[in-house]
Amino acid sequence: MRIFLIGAGQVGFAVVEALHHDHEVTVLDTEPSRLAALAERYDVATVKGDGTSRRDLAAAGVQNADLVIACTSRDEVNLVAGMFARKEAKNATSVIRTSNVEYVELWRAGQLDVDFVVCSELETAHAISRILGVPAARQTDVFAEGQVQIVEFDVEEGASQGTVGVPLRGAGFPRDSKVAAIIRGGEMRLPGGDDVILPGDRIVIIGSPQAAQEWSALLAPGESTVRDVVIYGAGRVGSAIARVLLEQGFNVRLIEASRERARQVAETLPGARVYNATGVDPDFLERERIGRTHAAIFAMRDDAKNLYAASLAEVHGVKFTIGIAHEAVSLEAFEHAGIDVSVNPRGVTAEEIIRFAHDPRTKQIALLEGNRYEVIDVTLRDSSDYIGKKFKEMPVRGALIGAVIRNGSAIFPHADDVLQAGDRVIVFTEAADAPRVVSAL
Amino acid sequence: MTKREIAGRRVRPKRRSAVDLKAAANLVGLLAKYLGLVVLFPTALALWYGDPVWPFLATGAITSGLGLVLERATAGAAPRVGVREGFLVVSAMLLMSGAFASLPYLFTGGDQLSYPIDAYFEGMSGATTTGATVLTDFDELSRSLAMWRQFTQWLGGMGIIILAVAVLPRLRVGGRQMMESELPGPEVAQLPERIRQTARLLWGLYVGLTVVLVLVLASLGWLGIDEEMTEYEAVAHAFTTIPTGGFSTRPNSIAAFSAAAQWIIALFMLLAAANFVLLYRGIVRRRPKVFAHDEEFRLYLAIVVVASVAVTIQLWGYGIATGEEAVREGVFQTISLITTTGYATTDFALWPVLSLMTLFALMFAGGSAGSTTGSIKAVRHLLVGKVLRRELDQTVSPEVVMPIRLNGTPVDERTLRAIAAFILLYVGFWVVGASVIAIDSAIGGVSLGGLDTLAVSASALGNVGPALGVTGPMASYAPLGDVSKVTMILLMWVGRLEIIPVVVLVTRHYWRL
Repeated sequence: MRIFLIGAGQVGFAVVEALHHDHEVTVLDTEPSRLAALAERYDVATVKGDGTSRRDLAAAGVQNADLVIACTSRDEVNLVAGMFARKEAKNATSVIRTSNVEYVELWRAGQLDVDFVVCSELETAHAISRILGVPAARQTDVFAEGQVQIVEFDVEEGASQGTVGVPLRGAGFPRDSKVAAIIRGGEMRLPGGDDVILPGDRIVIIGSPQAAQEWSALLAPGESTVRDVVIYGAGRVGSAIARVLLEQGFNVRLIEASRERARQVAETLPGARVYNATGVDPDFLERERIGRTHAAIFAMRDDAKNLYAASLAEVHGVKFTIGIAHEAVSLEAFEHAGIDVSVNPRGVTAEEIIRFAHDPRTKQIALLEGNRYEVIDVTLRDSSDYIGKKFKEMPVRGALIGAVIRNGSAIFPHADDVLQAGDRVIVFTEAADAPRVVSAL
Repeated sequence: MTKREIAGRRVRPKRRSAVDLKAAANLVGLLAKYLGLVVLFPTALALWYGDPVWPFLATGAITSGLGLVLERATAGAAPRVGVREGFLVVSAMLLMSGAFASLPYLFTGGDQLSYPIDAYFEGMSGATTTGATVLTDFDELSRSLAMWRQFTQWLGGMGIIILAVAVLPRLRVGGRQMMESELPGPEVAQLPERIRQTARLLWGLYVGLTVVLVLVLASLGWLGIDEEMTEYEAVAHAFTTIPTGGFSTRPNSIAAFSAAAQWIIALFMLLAAANFVLLYRGIVRRRPKVFAHDEEFRLYLAIVVVASVAVTIQLWGYGIATGEEAVREGVFQTISLITTTGYATTDFALWPVLSLMTLFALMFAGGSAGSTTGSIKAVRHLLVGKVLRRELDQTVSPEVVMPIRLNGTPVDERTLRAIAAFILLYVGFWVVGASVIAIDSAIGGVSLGGLDTLAVSASALGNVGPALGVTGPMASYAPLGDVSKVTMILLMWVGRLEIIPVVVLVTRHYWRL
C-alpha cells in the first residue's frame, strides 16, 4: 500500500515505525531536521513541504497514494491537508488527526469530507475508561464492539491461590477467557496446558468483559471497582477524560492550577467538582481527602509534574495511579517510579491511525508492550487451510486465536471447536510475525 | 514635569459633564410629545358617559406641548443616547409619566385628589403599577376619571419606553439598555432577538393577555354568573390585573365580585407575574414544557403553593373562613401580594398575626424577572441562595470552583455582584423609608404601628399597594402626612426602576468625565 503521511512529529514517528516494513511510505513535513531524523531510522521517502499547500502536496506525489494520513499537531493543517488530498487523490482513504472533539462530532454527522478522524484526546480518554473498568489491568483493548477484551495483567504475590503455580490445564479460570501469552523476564511464550503462571509474570488474557472483571478479582483480590476518580490537569486531555468518565457515571474531581481554565472547565462540565489548586499542597490533599479516591489520573501538560504529583498522591494514600506520558520516553520513567498505568496519547493516536493501513480483511489491531505484540481482528479467507480444523489440531506457530466472531457474536473456543468460513478471529502474535500470520489465515 | 506644566494644569477650564443632557432632554421631549396622545382614549370615554372632556384634552395638550417645546429647544442634539443618558431618560420619564397621570386628578379630582401631593401620589401609584391610593370615596369619581386611573396602570405596566422602542425607529440604537432598565429583573439572560422584535413581542403579549382577560371577565357578566361584572368593570380590572397594578374602581376591591371572577383574576395575576418571554415560548409557541424546566418559574410557583397552603390553614384554623372560601381567600391574597398587585377579596389587615407575617414576607418575594411585578423577584432569591450555598461549600473547600448556573447556563459573576448590591440597596431603601414615615407619623399624630410602618415602606418600594393596619387593603393612605406621601412616591419611583438606574444618578462618577 502506498501511504502518504503529513507530519513527522511523535505521532508520525510511531506510525512510520509500525508501517514502514510492509508499506511504501512518503512523509511530508516543513522541518528538514525532523525528516532527516526519520530517514535515518526508517526506509521511507521524505519530502520537505507544507501540508497546507496544494502545490507541495502534488509535487510530493500525494495523487499516487492509497492512504493519506494527516497527523501534524495542528488541527487546521490536518483539515486543509485532508481537503486537498481528497482533491488530488480521489480514491485514497484519508485519515486526519485532531485534538478537537467538535471535529469528531462534525465528522460523525457527515460534515467533514474525510474518511476517518482520530482524536488523540478522545482516544486517550477511552483508553483510560477501559483501564478503570478493569482496575488490576495494565492495559486493555476492546474488540468486536466490546464483546471481546484483551487485558494485560501483572501477576503479583497477592494473587489468589489456584491461579498461580498451578498448570493451566487444571486451574479454575473464568469461563470465556484464554491466557494468550505469558511474558516472563522479557520473553513471551504462548502457553500450553502444562505451563504455570508465576508471581512476577505479565499475562495477556483474551476474554469476555465479564471474564476480564473476574480475572481482575482473581489477580488482585480486595480491589473494589472504581467509582471515584481525581484528575490532575483540566487541559484538553484532562477535560476529555473527565467528560468520558462523567458520561459513564464516575464521580469525577478535577484539579487545575490555572484559575481561568478551572472556571471554564467548571462551566462546561457541570457534573465534575473542580478545584483551582496545584494539587501538590499537602494541606489541600489532606483537606479534600484525595488519598481516599479509588484512582488518580495525572493529565497535566508536563510529564515531570505528572510524575511528581503521582508520587505525592501515592504518599497520601492513592492506591491506583494512571499517568499521562506525553513523551514516549516518560513511559519507562513512570513505570519505574511505580505509577500503575501509563498512557501515551500520541502512541494511542498512532495505534488508531495504523489500523487503517492494514489488509482490508483486518478490522482492528491493538499493540501491546510498546508495539512488540499485536492483537489482530482478521476475517478468514474462504480458501484458508484452517477452515474445518479443530483447535486442538492446530499447530502452535507463534500465534494464538483467542476468540472467534461468528455472525456478529463472540465465541471463546474450546479444544473441540471448529473454524468456519466467514469467521473473524482475534489473534495474538508478535508484531514482527503479524504479516505472516495474517497471510496464513 | 516642569513648573509651567503644573501651572497649566491648574488653570484648566471647568470640568465638562459626562452626560449629554441635551440629547437626554430631547428624547424625553420626543417621548412626552407622543405620550400626550393617549388621552384620546379617556376623552372618547368622557364623551360617551357625558363627563367633562376638557380635563383630558388639557392634560394631553400640556404634555404634548411641553414635550414639543423641550424637543424644539434641544434641536440639533445627538440623535443617539448613550448608557449614561439612558439612566437619566428612564428615571425622568417615570417621574413625568406620574405627573402626566395626575393632571386630570388636579383638574377634576374634587376634595380627595386636587391637592397636588395627593394627585401626584395617585399618579405615581398608577404609573409605577403600585396601586396605593389616597381615595376614600370611590363614588365621587366620574366614570371616565375612574377608568383613567385604571388606564394609567396599564400604560405603566409594560412600560412607556418599551412601547416606544417597539414603535419609534429612533430608539433602535441605544434602546436596549433603557429597555432593560425598565423591564424588571436582572439581565441574566440577554434576549436573543433584536430589541425591536422583543419590545413588540412583549407588548403584543401584554395586549393579548389583557384582551383575553377582558373577554373572560365580561362573559361572566353576559352569562349572568356575576351581575356586578359589567363590560366597564371587566375592562377596568383587566387594565390593573395584567400590569399587576391593583387599582380597583370599588372601595372593597375584588371582594365586590363573585367567586368565579376572583378565581379568574387570581389566575391572570399568577400568569402576569411570570416571565413574559417564558409565557411567549410556552403559550404562543406552544411549548408548555418550558414552564417545568425554568428554575425561576418553579421557585415562584413553589412559593405561591407553600404560602397559599400556610395562609389557608391559618384562616380555616382560626375559623375566619372555611371550605372553598378559606382556600379562595388564602390563594387570592397570596397571589395578590407575591405578584405585587395589591388586590384584596377580604380585609386581610384584620387577619391574625401569623397570616399577616406570611403576607408581609411575600411583599419581598415578587414574581419573575421579565414580568410586570415589582419587589426583589424570584430569580434574585434563587441566585442569592445559590451564592450562599457556594460560600458554604467554599468554607469547607476553599479551592473549589463552582460557577453559578441558571437553567444550566453559567451566570456572570458581575451579574451576581449586581444582584447582591441590589438586595442591599433594596433593604436600605426599605429601612430608611420606614424610618422617615415613622418619624413623620409620630410628629403628625398618625396612628401607625411598628409592623404597619415597615409594611407601608415595603409596599411602596415593592410596588404592591396596600399595607397592613390603618393602611390595609380596604383603607386608604389619605391619613398619612405629606412627608410620608412624598417618601412613598420616591420609594415607588425607585422601586419600579429597580433602584440602580436611579441611584447611579446621584453618584459623582456618573456626572464627571
